[in-house]
Amino acid sequence: MPKKVEKLHSTLMKKGIPGIECTQWHNSIKLEGELGNWQDIITAGKIATKFGYKGVVNEIKLRGFKEPEIKAPKIKDNAIDNRRPDVVIIGGGVIGCSIAREMSKYDLDILVLEKESDVAMHASSRNDGMIHPGIASHTNTLRGKMNVKGNAMYTKLCQELDIPFERYGNFILFDDKKIAYGAGALFAYRAKHYGIEMEYCNREKLVELEPNLTDKAVAGYSFPSAGVLSPYKLTVALAENAVENGVEFSLDTIVTSMHKLHGEIVSVQTNRGKIYPKAVINAAGTFSDCVADMAEDKFFTIHPRKGEIVILDKKKGPDVTRSMGLVSPEMLYSTSKGGGVMRTIDNNVLVGPDAYEQPLREDFSTHRENIQAVLNKHLKLIKTFEPSDAITYFAGIRACTYEEEFVIERSEYVKNLIHAAGIQSPGLASAPAIAEEICKITVNALSECMQVIPNSKFNPNRRRVPHLDKLSFDEKQKVIKENPDYGVIVCRCEEISRGEIIDAVNSALPATSVDAIKRRVRPGMGRCQGGFCAPLVTNIICEQTGLTPEQITKCGGDSNLLFEKTPKGGASK
Amino acid sequence: MTKEMTCIVCPNGCLMRIEQEGDKIEVFDAICKRGIEFAKNELTNPTRSITTTVATKFEDYPLLSVKTSGEIPKDKIFEAMKKINSTIVKKRVKVDDVVIKNLFGTDVVATSDMTLDVKTQRLID
Amino acid sequence: MKQRYRVCVLGGGPAGLAAAVSAANEGAQVLIIEREAKLGGILKQCIHDGFGLIRFGQRLTGPEYAEREIKEMLGSKVDYITSSFVTNVKRISDGGFELEIQSANGMMKVQSDTLVIACGCREKTSRQVFIHGDRPAGIYSAGTAQYFVNIMGYMPTKRCVILGSGDIGMIMARRLTLEGAEVEGVYEIKDTPAGLARNVAQCLDDFDIPLHLSTTVTRVIGDKRVEAIEVAKVDKNFCPIENTKRIIPCDSLILSVGLLPENEIAQKLDIEIDFATKGAYVDQCFMTNVPGVFSCGNALHVNDLADYVSESGELAGKYAANFRPSQRDIVKIEYDSKDFLYVVPQYYDVTQGGELSLYFRSKTDCKDRKVYLDFDDDTVLDKKYKRLLPSEMEAVKVKPKKKVTSATLRMGDFK
Repeated sequence: MPKKVEKLHSTLMKKGIPGIECTQWHNSIKLEGELGNWQDIITAGKIATKFGYKGVVNEIKLRGFKEPEIKAPKIKDNAIDNRRPDVVIIGGGVIGCSIAREMSKYDLDILVLEKESDVAMHASSRNDGMIHPGIASHTNTLRGKMNVKGNAMYTKLCQELDIPFERYGNFILFDDKKIAYGAGALFAYRAKHYGIEMEYCNREKLVELEPNLTDKAVAGYSFPSAGVLSPYKLTVALAENAVENGVEFSLDTIVTSMHKLHGEIVSVQTNRGKIYPKAVINAAGTFSDCVADMAEDKFFTIHPRKGEIVILDKKKGPDVTRSMGLVSPEMLYSTSKGGGVMRTIDNNVLVGPDAYEQPLREDFSTHRENIQAVLNKHLKLIKTFEPSDAITYFAGIRACTYEEEFVIERSEYVKNLIHAAGIQSPGLASAPAIAEEICKITVNALSECMQVIPNSKFNPNRRRVPHLDKLSFDEKQKVIKENPDYGVIVCRCEEISRGEIIDAVNSALPATSVDAIKRRVRPGMGRCQGGFCAPLVTNIICEQTGLTPEQITKCGGDSNLLFEKTPKGGASK
Repeated sequence: MTKEMTCIVCPNGCLMRIEQEGDKIEVFDAICKRGIEFAKNELTNPTRSITTTVATKFEDYPLLSVKTSGEIPKDKIFEAMKKINSTIVKKRVKVDDVVIKNLFGTDVVATSDMTLDVKTQRLID
Repeated sequence: MKQRYRVCVLGGGPAGLAAAVSAANEGAQVLIIEREAKLGGILKQCIHDGFGLIRFGQRLTGPEYAEREIKEMLGSKVDYITSSFVTNVKRISDGGFELEIQSANGMMKVQSDTLVIACGCREKTSRQVFIHGDRPAGIYSAGTAQYFVNIMGYMPTKRCVILGSGDIGMIMARRLTLEGAEVEGVYEIKDTPAGLARNVAQCLDDFDIPLHLSTTVTRVIGDKRVEAIEVAKVDKNFCPIENTKRIIPCDSLILSVGLLPENEIAQKLDIEIDFATKGAYVDQCFMTNVPGVFSCGNALHVNDLADYVSESGELAGKYAANFRPSQRDIVKIEYDSKDFLYVVPQYYDVTQGGELSLYFRSKTDCKDRKVYLDFDDDTVLDKKYKRLLPSEMEAVKVKPKKKVTSATLRMGDFK
């Protein structure tokens, strides 16, 4: 056993984690064995990162736990069989869609594979929408570099994609002045390294900027470059603009295996046929290590870190202007930021998230205790917030590697495989920068076997449709005169018109499920949570697509809203 | 024998006490006569009215709400539903127009007026 | 359309229709603004009967009741617009109001001397009662399920669990059973049913649908569609008891966990909301703290009966038509929150005087109680109740004999 491996083994023993087999695999370290609790497995993985390997492949099993099979689409056909795209992107999250759009600047045949029935179904629709300033990242990390660069790109990007973005700043708050001063040195160091604007705020300044802050916060730092957007609107907009520029999406499509020859992926098997891409981009989120494994290039491991978030009624939106969180000294150096409260781009308030390790990659269930803890922890920061303001809550899963670092690189062992993996927070803020980097790497790789030329027809601007809530009285008057459907309100809580829903159904990436519509234009996001509008939205989808009500789903697959017709006129037995 | 029964005649929902000995039935705690009547009926020949919908042949009015004009024996409810569900209304009817004649001794009538033409707006000068 | 109305009624359900007709009968120019495509409000989908016993002396179904009200409105001088949404409302310098209205015809502005808020209520959602676990398709409020079955003619379930024993929940239990679905049971977190006793009898008992009291849903299980529901008994603090958890296979969870008045428009006018009712504070004229703005029906407080909704609309409409700005002299109607859940109206305006239609709910299920209303030393109400229930609203009418300075509603024993 090499010395380094031996040292790791004995360190694990010392930490009370015995029976772990450690082996070097390429430049990485692989851990195998079985342990009785998940936290020990996480701890073992974390310890292994301290030994200077490229990555930790943590294969330690949890005793008595069988990882559930990946939730796969039921459909089986040959829709994409025999296709020979230049680039296949695995994963239709914000990373996959950002890459797709970025790559559509080149004259390439690009195919995005997404196992769900829509884009942004996992982490990309299950986060707080914050465009972080970058201050939470250690210096000289990809997470920090991509974050700061990506943050700066958002103003232009959101204009091109026609989605709302607000650079409203954030506060990192402290309940102790001394700790605040101490943290100031760390922030100043990072701010200088990355070029992040920051300002110290005493209590008076904080209250001047956020009058509803309780006296929990005694001092803090302001980071004006922080912003907010709707993460699912962004992902959809990226996908739509990619489609407008020639990218093709194959939804309900799961990659089941890959065939390699001479260190290169030759074919990718899916439930909808076998394809033969020139290059493969791994943007598979919490499954990105599984995809790497299919190409025998698993040099990192995803450990799913779950978070739960609460949304408060729009009534409370005006009570805060930015995002803010109270930070304890131990959180300053930790891998997650501890959550907080923030106003969303749609003027709700978002509370949380929390962060906890657990073994399931796509279990989005929420738990009473966790939601309660999130409320208890953060509501006290703002005077006017009450638990009864909560209208909904949800869970998301961060795709974290043990290194707690992004994997953005061309595979060392598989020539035509590029990883955009381990993208956890601040993945949303980093997405445009990651896409640029991945695009550069991919174009270089492709140039070895083909000529890559720019797409002369690339149009960065997504098709404009009216957003009624952003229009003045006279502007609304104008668009309704042109199309009366914009005048008919379907969602009373969010004031969404029939015309906007029809636009979503007929967009470049058509939305044909109730949740897909909800993600794009928000009916059902409000205080009634779709009680009034879900049937109306169902009817509009039917009318636009020719589907019947019992065919309409909540979110694809078998999530049909309705069974058969009531037995009227002898309609059923 | 003593038993309790909730009157369903009106929203008051009186909780009645009933003493039954052979054919003799005494009802207590009902605020009105209708409760006494209901209780006696309930012990001898329980009946219910049904409200439901029925299919029509009109595309602009595919479902019509209906009710039994009187009551039917309680144990015939599902049989009655079967009959109603196999019916298709072929002409436009008004409230109380008969849709099915003599269903277990009563009629099924419309509870909505298919001819009522309410415009989307009305603005009187 | 007129530039300015005397009364603008927001909502064309039973409250709004009654308000409009009564205001028109007082000679006012009235406009009803309805956001849905059709008038009649939620009654359109309430095809069951039991409406109208007080107002019409007849047992009517929801559509029958609604159509009577619509016909009456059509017979009086009332303007109305449907599929029209009030996007904004503000006070103007002459004391009136200006409404911005969005519809397929475009945007328009309408002015009115007074407003009657008759927007009804909405259902509490699964999230508001903190249901956890997965969130697949198949979680519906009872009202949404009712729309699917009665208006669209589709079955939202074949086998369901109903959480909450509100009236709509029980009525849907019967309705779904009649149409061939199986209702596994109705679960109620409290130890008494939330809805009317007659609905327990005729909707559940008649069909052998079990009602499980002190039991709640603790988790939803299912990936794409509901596959099962976990229920558990609760202790006195409504906390689930771990060892009573059980899993029920089903395809839907239907919720009837309460209604909330809709007051989003009211809040744009800084109308004060009573925490107890979730509706506006009003006086005996149904006028809110903002002079010229009236509230009625389920937007004011959730009523048990459409009849009371209409009654409050009728009064609000009449008072709105006759509104004159004047100094108010408000007396708060005091009550002990240990005895009463709420009281509406919350105020008596001495300068207006006149009769007081009072609605209240008791805080607990209690027997053999007396309810009194004192105006100063004068007890104007002294009424016996064999039983009072939080789920059953009581209505009384009283009139003070002289100018009052205080009002107190109180409860006592009899026998």
